[in-house]
Parts: sequence; structure tokens; C-alpha cells
Amino acid sequence: MKKLCLLALPILVLTSCGGSSEKDGGQDSSGNTIVKVMFHVDGQSEEGMAYKKRINAFNSAYKSQKIKASADFVARTQGTTSYEQVLISMKQEGTLPSIITFDSPNCSTYAHYKLVVNVDDVFTEEEKNEFITLNRYQGKTYGIPIQESSAGFYYNKTIFAEAGIDVSGYTVENPWTFDQFKDVCRRLKDHGVATPVDMRLDATRDETATYLLYPFIYAAGGDFVDENGKVTGHLNSNASKRGFQFFKDLVTNGYTSYSVGATDFFTGKAGMYLSSGWTIPDLLHKYKKNRDEWGLLPYPKDVTAASATGSWSYGLTKDTEAGRALLKWLSTPESAQVITDATGMIPAHKTLGNDYEINSAEYVLRKQLELSGTPRPEMVGYSKFSAYFANIINGIYNQEVNGVVDSFTSSLQTELDKIK
Amino acid sequence: MFQIAIIIFAVLLFIFGVVVFVDVLLAKKNNTKYHTKQVITAFLFILPAAIFAFFFIALPILYSLGYAFTDTGLFEPDGGKFIGFENFKAAFEEIKNGGTLAIAIKNTAIFVVLVVPLQITVALLLALFCNVKYKGRTIFKVCFFAPVVISLAVTSYLWLILLDPSSDGLMNTILMSFGLPQQEFLRNPDTTMIWIVIVSAWQGAGYQMLIFSSALSGIRKDLYEAARMDGCNAWKRFWKVTLPGLKPTLLYILITVFIGACRIMVQPMLMVGSYDPKAITISYFMYGQAYDFPYLVGYSSAIALLMTIFTGTITFLQRKLLGEKRK
Repeated sequence: MKKLCLLALPILVLTSCGGSSEKDGGQDSSGNTIVKVMFHVDGQSEEGMAYKKRINAFNSAYKSQKIKASADFVARTQGTTSYEQVLISMKQEGTLPSIITFDSPNCSTYAHYKLVVNVDDVFTEEEKNEFITLNRYQGKTYGIPIQESSAGFYYNKTIFAEAGIDVSGYTVENPWTFDQFKDVCRRLKDHGVATPVDMRLDATRDETATYLLYPFIYAAGGDFVDENGKVTGHLNSNASKRGFQFFKDLVTNGYTSYSVGATDFFTGKAGMYLSSGWTIPDLLHKYKKNRDEWGLLPYPKDVTAASATGSWSYGLTKDTEAGRALLKWLSTPESAQVITDATGMIPAHKTLGNDYEINSAEYVLRKQLELSGTPRPEMVGYSKFSAYFANIINGIYNQEVNGVVDSFTSSLQTELDKIK
Repeated sequence: MFQIAIIIFAVLLFIFGVVVFVDVLLAKKNNTKYHTKQVITAFLFILPAAIFAFFFIALPILYSLGYAFTDTGLFEPDGGKFIGFENFKAAFEEIKNGGTLAIAIKNTAIFVVLVVPLQITVALLLALFCNVKYKGRTIFKVCFFAPVVISLAVTSYLWLILLDPSSDGLMNTILMSFGLPQQEFLRNPDTTMIWIVIVSAWQGAGYQMLIFSSALSGIRKDLYEAARMDGCNAWKRFWKVTLPGLKPTLLYILITVFIGACRIMVQPMLMVGSYDPKAITISYFMYGQAYDFPYLVGYSSAIALLMTIFTGTITFLQRKLLGEKRK
């Protein structure tokens, strides 16, 4: 008997580690149709708890219709690639949940490889118009944003006041220009600020640098790719190069560098800091900075105004009634409110987030999104584009913009031409 | 896919059975004192390792060989079709056009040329240092061997913290406290590969040191005494006694370090990342092609095959050239 128990023990351990035995699309013992959803965060995080809350609410609301949602949490701790590999493995095994979450710029790739399906007829036109942006591929909708994001220049009000720099006229409705931006940097430098601006040129190991810096290329009149997936003539157009030259000029003039300390802005060594909305909680809670100590300036414009957008989205992997019901539920303004309350990000719905105090950081981000938000390029192979964009940023460190951009555009085109 | 694996496994198991049978028959025919039971037992002992090797070494190699001639992608692993030598043609085309693969080959070549002599020299020096009898020798041995037992990922991250190019970086803080200028380390394209070489040599040298140490203890002491009596100084004794005595070990270490260097991937991936041309290597490129967009398993397998042929050829030449001299 003792031996039998010892034999049974590992089997029990193994089966208990296997997670929920409920199969997506199958039925539980009570006859409920199971619909699975996979989130990219830790289930115990604030965001994870918010998702759980909405799943529980869905299960209560759909009890009579015999639909039961079940959530899996696969925290994206190792970057986009490893999360993508989990999705691909699940697809190969046939265990991909009905709904997945994914980083919005990857929408075209996932749609191209049929990882997600078209959701145009899941929502009415009115419902779709509710969203600030939608994730599209070849004119069709494949992803519904969970939330939105934007970025801008956090600035140290004390340093600016000491340097006699007045930026009150540079509002989100009337953004400053590239030249005005450089002028502020020059005055900060003249005032003795070691690093006038942290452009996050060092953040090239993941998506951060691409996300924060791509709007400058659009603002300079450049672009990245055409509808046929060709980057040649776009990423290396004269206008795009002018955008990259802007970064190079900032480095050459000593306004920024590739080696700004991670805490330099928070400790008063840097005058400005390019970052997304996620810095607001850091400033308020981690560094205990009052709102009168810092402010947020919009992206500067050149030939046009452009700013960063995009966050994570929901995608439907198979078109089932239960999957549609859950997707619609998770995409309601109520769900969006619960989730953005937990994350501090901007709601994806136009009707939400309109009550921020004028000129507060949140207001600037929300308004900027509406006025100049420009999504990252919709292209199959976005992850490759992002890596090459980061490589251009690294390359202009000690080489001429012209040669670097041409060389990487050519290499990127070779990579993109491999797409089946 | 699984069915194919089972069929291959069944065929190999059958061959294995035939080998056992023939072995027993030959033993009987030659009247060798050879007991059938013992032979079967011996083969059964090998069987678990053989099964393991089949599923985790032979089968992936066989699959990879097959994939090299198809357009298989990770999004549709069973959907690839046979395309002959197209992947190989594409690889040579990419090299010819100076694409990322060409840069990866160049970086790998630089790495191999620098790391092989450096790592072997450091390992030999450490072994010689530890071979001299003095108090606390074991502590040094442990310290030199410690990086080998720490995972590559951990050491890469440790060095990443050390070499942080910002003013907060550990090395920069030390340098700046002495009034020296802030350094860019891995950020500077001119020094990126050099730092990767240093980290790799530091990580790997301990293992080769251990092999050198055991080889050094195997060299006959009377040879040193004879050399001393002939008036050889320490330098001459090293060249005339130690080095010839280490030659077989040196050949082994040269081959293993060379093969390891050709496969360099973890350090560039973790310390630089983004498939940055400053540090992209063949293995990192191969990984990126298969396990990141564009998920081209077929293309990646073709490059793997080419690399295996190249490494095998060089290893064969090394053995041939250095091994023959040994005779």
C-alpha cells in the first residue's frame, strides 16, 4: 500500500501542475461551454486582478446562457519574442485559447499568419467608432485595443524656472517645433544641466526606443513602409533621414547621450525625459514628486505633428459564439474602465478619459493621442522592423545618418522579402 | 510529425536488434568466450542512453536536415514544401549582398580568431599558476573554475551591470572616481566584440584550466629533472618539456574551444540583443531566423547545415595537421 501511494504521488503532482483540465470550446460538468482567454500579465498583478474581475462578471452575466470564461495568465517577462513563441507553440499544439492578448503593432503579422481572425462583424460600426484606434490589416479589423498609450517629455519645473525657460506656450493644441525643442535644450545646457534631455536612445534592447522615437520620423515628414511591405524608399527617404538626423544633432550638440543614467531625470541631473504614461505613477509614488515639481510637454512637430500610440489588444483566434460574446464583453467601456483604473493607462474608448484636469500630464497624453496620435507602421514583420529601427538608432552613434539608414533599410528589405 | 519520429525510431531499434544479433552470431562463429546474455545485457545498458540520444540529438538533427530543403516556417511547421537547394542559394545570395548573414559571419570570424588563442593562453597560464605548490592553491583553483559553473545567462547579466555605459554603471563609477573618463563599453561598436571576447574567455578558461592541470600532472617529473641537469632554464623547460607534453591535450582543447567559439550566441544575445550588427553572430542569426520573425525554420536549418560542414572541415583539418605532427 505504501509503495502504491509513493507511485501515485508523482502522478498526482504532475496532474495538479497541468493547470485547468477545461478545454477551450469544450463543456464542463455543468454543461457550460468553456471559452478560454490568455492574458500577457501575471494573474496576481493589479492588471491581472482587473482582468479576473471582468471574467468573473462575465461568468455571472452569462450563467443562464451556459457560457463560462476561463483565464490563463502567461506573464510576458522575457520580451515580445518569447511571448510570441508561446502563442506559436499553442497554435501548433491546437491549444490556443479563443481570445489572446497581443502587442498591437504585431497585428499585421498575426493576421497574415492567421493567428487571429477578422472581427469586423463581431462589432457594429457604431461600436467600432467608439475606439480611438483599431488594429487593422489590409483594411480589416483584427485587434481590439485593451487600452491606449502615449508619450511625451516630462520636464523638471525647478530646473526650467532656474534657467528662465518658459514653456507654457508649448501646449498639446499648439506643440513646439523641432527648432524650439533644440533651443530649450541649448538653454538648459548653457545653464549647466549635464543632460538637457534623456531621449532614451539607450532603450534599444526592446521595443521602448522604437515606441518612443518613431513619431519623430513621421513629424519630419518621413514614413516607414508602403502598402506592399516595401521599406526601401520610405525608411530611407530624405524626410525619414531628416528625422534620424534630428537625434544625431541632439547627440552631437551634447543635448542628449546614449549613456544617460536610469535615474538622472528623477534625481535632477537631466532636464527632460522622454517617456510614456507609465512614468506618472513612478514620479508620484516612487520618487514622491508633487505635480508642481514636474510637467509634461507634447512631442515637438516639424512638417507635421505626430505622437506615439498603441498598447496591447485582444484578438480572436477562432470565430465561435462564446468567443465573440467574451470579446465583446471585454471590449465594453465598463471593462476598459476597470482595466485602465488598474494600469493607469489611457482608455481605448473615446467616451472615457475626458475628465482630466486641463494641462495635467494625463490630459496632455489623452489629447495628444486624439490630435496627433500616429500608430506604428502596420506591416507584416513589425518585430523585425522594430529591431532594425533600434539598430539605426545604435548605428548613428558614430556613423553618418545617410549611410546607416541606407544600409539598414537594405538589410531590413532582405528580411521582409523572406515573408511567404 | 510524431508518427514519422516513431517510424524512424522503430527502424533504428530494428537496426540495433540486428547489430546485437550479428554480434552474438559472430561471437559464436569465432568461438569467442562471449556469453549471449552478457552481450544482450551490455546492449540493454546502452539502450536508455541510445533512446535519449535518439530523441534529443539524432532526431532533431535528422529533422533539421530535412527542413533545410523545405520552406518550413514556425507558423506552419507541417506546411513546408520541398524546395531543393533554394535555402542554400538564398544564404549565399545574402552573403554576396552583404546582408545580415554576411555581418554575422564576419563577427563570428573575429570572435573565433580572438577568443581561441586568448582563452587557451589564459587557461594554460592559470593551469601553470595552479600547478605550482603553494598554500591556498585550491582557493585559486575554485575561483578560476567558478565562472564555469555559473550559467551563461547569469554571467552575461553580471557583466552587463558591470559594463553599464551610463554614469551609474559599476565600472564607470570606479573609473570616474579615479578621474578617468566615462566609457561606452558595449555601446561602442569598436569595442563591443572585444568585450564579448573577454567575457567569453573569462567564462570558459576555467574549464580548460582544469584539463590542462590534469595533463600537467601527467608529465613525467624526471623529464624536468633531466632538463634542469642539462642547464635548461624555466622558459626552456616550458618550451621543450611542458608544451610537447601538453600537445595531445592542446589539440583537444583547440578543437573544442574552436567549435564552441563558432557557436557563440548567448553573450551577444543577452549583452547586446536586437540582432545588433555590432555583435550578431551566425548562431544568433540562425536563432533569430527560426525563432523570431520571419520564423524560417527551413532557411535557418540550411545555415545550420552549412555551419556544421564548415566547422567539421576545419576540425578535420586541425586534427590532420596537428595530429600528424604528433606522430
